[in-house]
Amino acid sequence: MAIAPGHYTLGPDDATLTVRTGKAGAASKAGHNLRIEVTSWRATIDVAGDAGQTAMALTADPRSLRVREGHGGMQALGDDDKASIEETIDDEVLEGAGIEFRSRRVAAASDGTLSVEGDLDLAGRSHPVAFDLVAGDGGRVTASARIRQTDWGIKPYSALFGTLKVVDEVDVEIDGTLPA
Amino acid sequence: MVELDHSFANDKPTDYNWEAILDLDRLIPCVQGGRVVERTGDDSAKAEIKVKMGAMSMTFAGTVEVAERDDAAHRAVLRVKSREVGGQGYANADVAFDLADGGGRIHTAAQISGKAASMGEGVVVSVLDGLIKDFTQKLQAI
Repeated sequence: MAIAPGHYTLGPDDATLTVRTGKAGAASKAGHNLRIEVTSWRATIDVAGDAGQTAMALTADPRSLRVREGHGGMQALGDDDKASIEETIDDEVLEGAGIEFRSRRVAAASDGTLSVEGDLDLAGRSHPVAFDLVAGDGGRVTASARIRQTDWGIKPYSALFGTLKVVDEVDVEIDGTLPA
Repeated sequence: MVELDHSFANDKPTDYNWEAILDLDRLIPCVQGGRVVERTGDDSAKAEIKVKMGAMSMTFAGTVEVAERDDAAHRAVLRVKSREVGGQGYANADVAFDLADGGGRIHTAAQISGKAASMGEGVVVSVLDGLIKDFTQKLQAI
């Protein structure tokens, strides 16, 4: 389904921006796979009749990531544990640097899916990313991209002398409804 | 029982290293997360170690004592007995130091139970190996 031409904005009121991380290492049993929600962000989508003129941009507050769920650990994550992870993200991973995406090229497939290529600023570095923006019924839009932290110079978090690590690749997803 | 062998080199005279490893106030903080809670004698201390496991952490509290020492041969065994704070587990170890000029060898024989051990012996060995390697690096600058 194609998105009708127009100017759209998306944010936490109409969509979720989620980051999913995995764990690895000899002691991975002690860690959790995390579902993290970005709680302060804004995206704009300017859909043109000619997909080549379509543009997308997103900005997010790097200090607005909140741990919503952790599974696969030896014990459930408590509120203190979640707060501790959020502090680590702020202090050691993203370090408060702005998060910004700007599309460079958008192409439309016959089913209306938009293939988006652009640059993502993260942790003070810019690197290209590509993803598909899929439109569904009732204005629903979804997109997902797998990004590698080291492409932005981020050293994936590790603990227990390197025996417990966050996997380099993390999944970023948007799921929302375009305002009518 | 997990047994591990490590060595360290710091180009310091044997007497210097001998004095350093028997000084629990200097030695215990060389273990990442370790601290002296209270000195209970010249050769003993109450101590604890906090091991960070990502968001969560485990703390073991107990005693460290110089159980054996041979001043002439520069050999000593430090005995660690500890229990997991707020848990059922324990971590005990005999850490034997055998010093020579400019460094020495460390033999660790550890017994660990509870939550930490439930991760499996392979994990315990990997974590303990990492902990002791980090410890030997700090001994280089002690």
